[in-house]
Amino acid sequence: MALKVYADRMSQPSRAILIFCKINDIDFEEIRVDVLKNQQFSPEYKAINPMSQVPAIIDGRFKLFESHAILIYLSCAFPGVASHWYPGDLSNRAKIHSVLDWHHSNLRRGTVGLVFNTILAPLVGLPSNLQTAKEAEKILMKSLSKIENFWLKDGRFLVGSSQPSIADISLVCEIMQLELLSEKDCDRILSPYKKVVKWIEDTKKATAPHFDEVHDFLFKAQKRIRERKATESGKNEVKSKL
Amino acid sequence: MTLKVYADRLSQPSRAVLIFCKINGIDFEEITVEFLKHQQFTPEYKEINPMSQVPAIVDGTFKLFESHAILIYLASAYPGVPDHWYPADVFKRAKIHSVLAWHHSYLRRGATGIVYHSIMAPLHGLTFDPQVPEQARKILPKSLSILEDYWLEGTGPFLFGNSEPSIADLSLVCEIMQLEFLSEKEYREILSPYKKVLKWIEDTKNATGPYFDEVHMALFNVQNEIRERMVKQSISSHKGGSESECIK
Repeated sequence: MALKVYADRMSQPSRAILIFCKINDIDFEEIRVDVLKNQQFSPEYKAINPMSQVPAIIDGRFKLFESHAILIYLSCAFPGVASHWYPGDLSNRAKIHSVLDWHHSNLRRGTVGLVFNTILAPLVGLPSNLQTAKEAEKILMKSLSKIENFWLKDGRFLVGSSQPSIADISLVCEIMQLELLSEKDCDRILSPYKKVVKWIEDTKKATAPHFDEVHDFLFKAQKRIRERKATESGKNEVKSKL
Repeated sequence: MTLKVYADRLSQPSRAVLIFCKINGIDFEEITVEFLKHQQFTPEYKEINPMSQVPAIVDGTFKLFESHAILIYLASAYPGVPDHWYPADVFKRAKIHSVLAWHHSYLRRGATGIVYHSIMAPLHGLTFDPQVPEQARKILPKSLSILEDYWLEGTGPFLFGNSEPSIADLSLVCEIMQLEFLSEKEYREILSPYKKVLKWIEDTKNATGPYFDEVHMALFNVQNEIRERMVKQSISSHKGGSESECIK
């Protein structure tokens, strides 16, 4: 029975799992759970992940959620996954755990808080909080600074590695979510961080062509969102001139 | 060279690492970094952990921070640590990673959100976000419910219905202990609906005795003082003044 991956390509951790499986030739069935349509709350999906979040996997009868746990499991359970993704050496492995943990309360918190409150919530008619967005942007900038000056200080990839690990895929997929912001905001946020920008490119290359293929969905959404905003601001401009 | 553990016993993840070392007979030197006195911001400590948080360890020349990463490293690197703390079995291990990841966004966010941002930081002149406790007060009962109904499901007393504790039990129970800084009334109101959770806390204490109580003494030693100061602060707020300051 093939591995089943329950994912939404709009979700950063979902994309990380899909890219990891593809780059490592792990045979799997992708089952879409559309978060913007609330499919994660269906009774069928709750039976798989009671937290109603994506991604989740089922491997045989084994169910698992939380993307970091899934990435580690796949690295260990599937043969042929190169060791740089999740090294056997205890100290290198520990550093990967360290940055993955740091990610939860820092980069992820910043990115999710900002993108949700400025783009996604208004899109689906959920309440958004601009104060939370402001705080989230501060956390995001601080996190990008830490990646630039600490996590990338010793190598091309995180924690001083010359090859990517599961942490690189996870964190880069998170940063890609910023592509849903306006081009101006995305550029303003990322351009001060030269190492981060290069690391994103290096991670894309190391997981080509799957990185771009999996992110195609996000870029299509980006185009729709930006066009919609352009139309709205055009209408507002007309209104203000009248 | 002995393992060095940089910790503050008022910090939940610090306590988890200390208890783990003691229960497993891991030889270490405890170095206190008092976060309420801002000692995490010294240049010396920033060399060890540039994120200025506790705990952190130095094992020979190897430095590590983030308590889950530390617990996993110690369970794997030190001989004689029984398998139940961090099982070799890939499925059991995956479940531990799953609950530890869940913890960050749920239980920790709830408990720390309330205790740090509405009590510890304001009382001690540390930066805090006054918006955080409101959200945290929603996340905490949700997290306790999920613990009660999902993570503690099964025949045994520990997470996943296990018969013996893992690093996840230690980490999460130390987090819940931080709620002891709330008023007695609020602590009871929040926790009393969750019978399994309350029993699990006791079972985890017993499984790590006497170290659990010994390490938590630091918390109980300041509990009354913190509670009294919070009462005084809320009285003075009612009178129109406030002792605390939100520093951004």
